[in-house]
Amino acid sequence: MSPEVALNRISPELRPLLCSVVRNGRVGLDSTNCLRVTDLKTGCTSLTPGPCCDRFKLHIPYAGETLKWDIIFNARDPELPPDFIFGEDAEFLPEPSELPHLVQWDAGDPECLLQLVKELIQQYHQYQCQRLRESSRLLFEYDSLLEDPNYSRSMEIYAGHKNSWTGEFSARFLLKLPVDFSNIPVYLLKDTTLDPGEDVALLSVSFEDAEATQVFPKLYLSPSIEHALGGSSALHIPAFPSGGCLIDYVPQVCQLLTNKVQYVIQGYHKRREYIAAFLSHFGMGVVEYDAEGFTKLTLLLMWKDFCFLVHVDLPLYFPRDQPTLTFQSVYHFTNSGQLYSQVQKSYPYSPRWDGNEMAKRQETCKAVEPATIFGPALPRQIHFISI
Amino acid sequence: MAASISGYTFSSVCYHSANSNSDHEGFLLGEVRHEETVSISDTQISSSELLQVVEVHNHEPCAQLFSFYDYAGQVNEESLNRILKDRRKNVIGWYRFRRNTQQQMSFREQIIHKQLTQLLGVPDLVFLLFSFISTANNSTHALEYVLFRPNRRYNQRVTLSIPNLGNTSQQEYKVSSVPNTSLNYAKVIKEHGAEFFDKDGVMKDIRTIFQVYGALQDKVQSVCGEVEQSERVKEKVQEEVNKLKQQIVLRKRKTTDEERRLQEAQNPEPRLTPEENTEPPETSLLSRVAFHTPSTPERPGPSANPPAYADLLSLQNDSLLPFSSSPTSAALLPRPQAVGSPGHPSPSPLGLGLSAGPNPAPSPGTPYLGNGDGSSSDSLDRQAAGQEDDEEDDDDDSSEYENLVSEVGQLPPVSASVLLQGRPAALSPDGDASVRGSQT
Repeated sequence: MSPEVALNRISPELRPLLCSVVRNGRVGLDSTNCLRVTDLKTGCTSLTPGPCCDRFKLHIPYAGETLKWDIIFNARDPELPPDFIFGEDAEFLPEPSELPHLVQWDAGDPECLLQLVKELIQQYHQYQCQRLRESSRLLFEYDSLLEDPNYSRSMEIYAGHKNSWTGEFSARFLLKLPVDFSNIPVYLLKDTTLDPGEDVALLSVSFEDAEATQVFPKLYLSPSIEHALGGSSALHIPAFPSGGCLIDYVPQVCQLLTNKVQYVIQGYHKRREYIAAFLSHFGMGVVEYDAEGFTKLTLLLMWKDFCFLVHVDLPLYFPRDQPTLTFQSVYHFTNSGQLYSQVQKSYPYSPRWDGNEMAKRQETCKAVEPATIFGPALPRQIHFISI
Repeated sequence: MAASISGYTFSSVCYHSANSNSDHEGFLLGEVRHEETVSISDTQISSSELLQVVEVHNHEPCAQLFSFYDYAGQVNEESLNRILKDRRKNVIGWYRFRRNTQQQMSFREQIIHKQLTQLLGVPDLVFLLFSFISTANNSTHALEYVLFRPNRRYNQRVTLSIPNLGNTSQQEYKVSSVPNTSLNYAKVIKEHGAEFFDKDGVMKDIRTIFQVYGALQDKVQSVCGEVEQSERVKEKVQEEVNKLKQQIVLRKRKTTDEERRLQEAQNPEPRLTPEENTEPPETSLLSRVAFHTPSTPERPGPSANPPAYADLLSLQNDSLLPFSSSPTSAALLPRPQAVGSPGHPSPSPLGLGLSAGPNPAPSPGTPYLGNGDGSSSDSLDRQAAGQEDDEEDDDDDSSEYENLVSEVGQLPPVSASVLLQGRPAALSPDGDASVRGSQT
C-alpha cells in the first residue's frame, strides 16, 4: 500500500500521526526505507461513512527481519493512545514506564507515534538481548561488543526462535560500521536516482547455531556508497574465521571498508593530479577531459606530421590500476566504419610516479608509440608536435 | 477447564458490543465451580478428574474506554469499584470487543489483565475477546470469540460453550446449567410459585398426572377382567353353535338318505345320473370346503358378490358358495368386529358345507371371520362391509339359521346347477371350465 493510499483511507484525526510515520519514519539502523503500512482497517461499524480506518499493520525493519506490529487506534476517540499487538512475539511485553511517549501521549503532536515506535524498538532490542542469555557463546559476543564504544550504540540484535527440529538457536547481529564516508567526492554519490538518505554501512552477521560454527556475514551499503565504491562486485569481505569472535572480526571489516574508501578518495585526488599534469604538459593538445571525476582525457597529438588522438581512461582505483591508453587515427577507418584505434596497456608505468613524472614519461613514450602502432599503414614521416 | 455462558447473556454482550462505534469492554460476572469426576473402569480401580467450570451469568459493560485505567495501563482501583459496586466479588473475568483485529491479546490488555488478577484476587481470571471481521464489501460479517486464561502458561484458550447455540442436528432443547441470577426473575417465581408447586416443592401437575395414570391403570385392570369373562362366554356359545351345526348336518344327511331311498323305490334308473351329479358336487363342495377351511380363514364370498368383491376373493377360489342366488348375499359379509363384542354368525352359505368334521376352530364359518389370530378382518372384509347396511346384517344373522334349515331341503336338486352357474359369475372371470376344474 502506497503511503498516499494509506493517508487517504485513515481517519482524518489520525492522519498527521500516520503521515510522519510513512513519510519520515525511519527507525533503527536500516534507514534506507521508510516504515510501511498495510492492512488498514476500521474499528467503527460498517455503516460509518468516509475514511474511518483506525488500525493497521506496521512493517518495521529490524536486524534484517521485518517486524509486523498491529497498531490499534479508535477513530471515535482519537486522543487516546494506541494499543499494540506484537505479532509473533507474544512474549514481548515492554514496561510502560519505559515508554514516555505512551505515558504522556499527546495526540496533537504528529511525531508522537513515531517516537513511541522508536521507544518500542529500543525495548524490543532489550528484550532480544535478554533472550541471548540462552546461549552463553552468543551472550559473550554481545557483551564484548557492548563494551566497545564504537558499536555499543549502533547494534540491533535479533535472537531468533529456537528451531524446533534441531533445537538450534540462531541469532543475527546487525552492526553499523563506524566508517567515515564524508570525504567521498560528491560526484560519486550523486549518481543515484533514489533519495540516498544517510550513507551507512551495515554488517550483518548471522549465527545459525549457538556454538558459532556456522556464521554468515554480509555487508550492506547504502546505494550511493555502493556505487561510489565500485558496485557490489568490488566488495568482498573476508569470511568469518571459525573460532573467531565478533570483537575481532568487525574491526577487520571496518578497516577493509575504510581502506577502500581511502582508495577511492585518494584515487580521485590522484587522478586530478594526473590530469592537471597532462594539461600543463600537453596544454594545447588537450581535446577534452572530465573536469568532475577526472576519469577521462583526450589528447590530439602529432608525430612527424601524423595526427592521432589519444584517449586516456583513468580507473577508479588509480594509481593502483594502470590507466588505459587508446590510440585513434584521424585518417583511417576500419572496415566497420569506425576510426582506427588501438588500445595500449603495456607501457612503462608505475603507480608511484606522480602526475608530472607520468606526463613526462608519456611524452617520450608517445614518440615511439605511434610508429609501432600505426606502423605499416603510415608514412614514415611523422614527427611529434604539440599543437 | 470448561466454560459456559447462557444464551441471553452472550447475546446481551454482543448487542452492547456491536452497537458501539469503537472498541468496547466490560466485566464478566459469574461463578467458578470445581467438578470432580470419579470414573471406574476395568483397568483401573478409579480415577478422578478435576474440572474447573466457569459459568458466566451476567456482564457489566463499561461506558467508555480507559474508564478504569490510564494511558500507561495502570488500573485505578477507585474507578474499578465505582463501575463494579457490590458485584466485585462476582467478577470472574473481563471481555473486550474490537473489530478487524487478530485474535490475540494486545499489549495493554495483557498489562491490565495482570493487574486485575491481583486486585480482584481471582487467580484464574479469564479474558473473553470478541473480534468482528467484515469482508471488504461488507457482505459477510463474522463474530469470533475466544476465551483466554492468560495466567496459565499453556492451553491458554478455553472453549466457551453456549447451550442450544450451534449444533442444529440436536432436536432437543437443552436445559442449561447456568442459572438465571436475575433478581426480578427470582421475585416473580417466588410469588407465583405456589400455584405450581405444592408444599413439598414438587410441581402439582406431576401429582395430578400420577393420579390420572393410576386411574387409567385401574380401569385397564378391570377391563381385562371383563374381557376375560366375555371371552369365556363366547367360547361357550361357540361350542353350542358348533354342536348345533353338527346336528344340522346329521339331520340333513338323514333326510337326503331317506329321500333317495324313496326315489329309488319310484324311479330307480333314469335318476341315477342326476343323483350322481348331485352327489359329487356336494361331496366335492364338502371336500373343497374342508380343504379350504383351514387355509382360508377369510370368508368365502358368495358368488353373487358384486364383481369388485369377487375379484378380490378370487384368491380363495373356492368360492364355495351356493347362496349366490340370494340377493342379499352381499349383505352376508361379516363386518369387522371389535374385540369383545358378540360375534356374528357366519352369513356365508358355507354353513351347509362347513359342517364337515375337520373343522378347525377358526373356521371361516365363525363369526370371527377375521384372521385366525384374532385381528380384525382385513381390508377386503371392511370394504365389503362398507357396502352393506348394518341392520341388514343383523337381520341376516338372525335369519341365517332359518335359511339354512329351509334351504337344506330345497337345495340338493337345484344346488348343483345353481352352483355351476353361480360360481363362475361370482368368482373367477376365467370361465367355468377352470373353476370347475379346480373344484374337483
